[in-house]
Amino acid sequence: MTQPLNGRRVLVVEDESLVAMLLETILEDMECVPIGPASNIDEGEAMARDTEELDAALLDVNVAGRQVFPVAEVLKARGVPFVFSTGYGEGGLPEEWRGAVTIQKPFTEATIRDALMKAMGVAEV
Amino acid sequence: MLGWGSLLTTYVRPGASHADLASAFEASPNPYLLLTPDLHIAEVNQAYVDVTGARRDDIIGAPLFQTFDAGPSADAPENVRQVKASLEKARDTRQRDHLAVVRFAIPRLADDGREVFDERIWSATHTPLMNAEGEVVYLLQHTMDITELSPTIRADEPTTALDALVGGAVLRRAQSVQEDNRRLEIERNRLVEMFMQAPGFVAVLSGPEHRFQMHNHAYTQLIGRQDIAGKSFREALPDLAQQGYFEMLDQVYQTGQAYEGREARVQLQRRPGAEPETVYLNFICQPIRDESGTVAGIFVQGYDVTETVRSVHIQKLMIDELNHRVKNTLATVQSIAIQTARAHADPATFAATFQSRILALSHTHDLLTRSHWEGADLQAMLSHETEPFGSSRISLNGPSTALPPATALSLGMIFHELATNAAKYGALSEADGRIFIDWTIDREAGRTLKLVWRESGGPKVSEPSKKGFGNRLIERNIRHDLAGTISLDYAPDGLIAELTVPLDRTPAE
Repeated sequence: MTQPLNGRRVLVVEDESLVAMLLETILEDMECVPIGPASNIDEGEAMARDTEELDAALLDVNVAGRQVFPVAEVLKARGVPFVFSTGYGEGGLPEEWRGAVTIQKPFTEATIRDALMKAMGVAEV
Repeated sequence: MLGWGSLLTTYVRPGASHADLASAFEASPNPYLLLTPDLHIAEVNQAYVDVTGARRDDIIGAPLFQTFDAGPSADAPENVRQVKASLEKARDTRQRDHLAVVRFAIPRLADDGREVFDERIWSATHTPLMNAEGEVVYLLQHTMDITELSPTIRADEPTTALDALVGGAVLRRAQSVQEDNRRLEIERNRLVEMFMQAPGFVAVLSGPEHRFQMHNHAYTQLIGRQDIAGKSFREALPDLAQQGYFEMLDQVYQTGQAYEGREARVQLQRRPGAEPETVYLNFICQPIRDESGTVAGIFVQGYDVTETVRSVHIQKLMIDELNHRVKNTLATVQSIAIQTARAHADPATFAATFQSRILALSHTHDLLTRSHWEGADLQAMLSHETEPFGSSRISLNGPSTALPPATALSLGMIFHELATNAAKYGALSEADGRIFIDWTIDREAGRTLKLVWRESGGPKVSEPSKKGFGNRLIERNIRHDLAGTISLDYAPDGLIAELTVPLDRTPAE
């Protein structure tokens, strides 16, 4: 059976390499192509702007002491859907980003797949 | 003996005849007493001498209440207190003070030569006499013996209606008004005292411009300035412009509706030239109305709750940070579990490997906790990872170095993976193998740790064909988490790992 997200290119912004490695493993299992991971905001912004083909992004909210929202702005401007990952849940997001798709750490493959599909508007097959 | 004339020189109008005045006082049928500000007798007139029966030479220069102590009765101390309080009030306020009725017993020599006390009732007026500089130099006591006006000396003796009508009732009324005044004054002083000493800040603002009529110590402490009496609120606190408080006061004054502020943020410039400080206040501004019900001013009172607001804020930050760290740690453990499981199909080896990785993480936490999360000692971390293999086989050589928490947590896992690999495939897999770990701190452009891990005496090594989780973790962690570099050289004699890690990175970099 083909994975619903087969071949999708997903940017990962996450400062902890172990968590980033987990996300990559999960994405690879879902037959996605992980991009990055970016370990800080500047790197994340550059990747969000310069990566030509980008289908979605997984953004850790707190990246090395800074908040990831500048990266989200770039993606929003490009029309690339994204999912926030955070230790706080959606309640930890500032007003303007409430309603964005959010997953809480620690996460499972199923929660990541569901969140990405919701953000990208991909229907279950 | 001083004459009245010389004593009066200081206060009478120029042109008056001192001699005339002096003889007028001396001849007056009213008893007069002149006191120094410390209540010593300066002069008395003949009427005073007559009424008290004292000898002039005995009493001039003596302290008043030593000379006249109101006798041995139980009421005497209270009688003395009343006269003394009135004199001191006249002196301290520089205002004339009346004592409408006061009992004061006067000593007299009885026929048998013993000293007896006659209970007398007096009415006294105390007038401060000031010099050109406005200093009180004398107090003049004008007394009237009103014992005869009083129907009785003892209040519990019956009085006739006529007595009551012509004298007693009036006197008692006078006495009661005097008592009321005294009580009111004590009450008023107590209120003013409470107002001034209140721990909260208090101010009374008067009129439509909100002029400071009264304010307490806590208020000047709060605003960091003293000279505000009489100034309008806008003049006294120009730094509050644009913060809405001027308009709020205007509104309270105009509408007569009280305003309550809770944890209201105020930017105050407490010292000239200093940066404005942020304080948080709980306060209430209540309209003060005059007899006609019109708003005449505003009563302001409140507390500085800055510390409380700050500590609540800090507590929230700490809970958020704790939550973030716990969730991240769980995600890290989850990652280790999943990646370890992929390399270990056998549950027994999975459990052992997974557990040793978690314990390595846990040990770094212990070291950090011991230093109150200020820094973990590099040598202690290396010793812990390598000591199971025997200290004689491990050489640790470098300066004492405290690693910042994030760096320590990463390096702890990296050293664990290097040691595990050495035990499985490298120098520690053979009895004679040794590891030399040398490090230095480079201080050019911030501190940089340079560490070399060199294995020798093990089996011949070569670059692994497929990188396991351990190796990926080492490389990714150094580059991604620590912004450092690592080179792994699989030399035939043994692995040489060289790593550089910047130590003074701020978390935002």
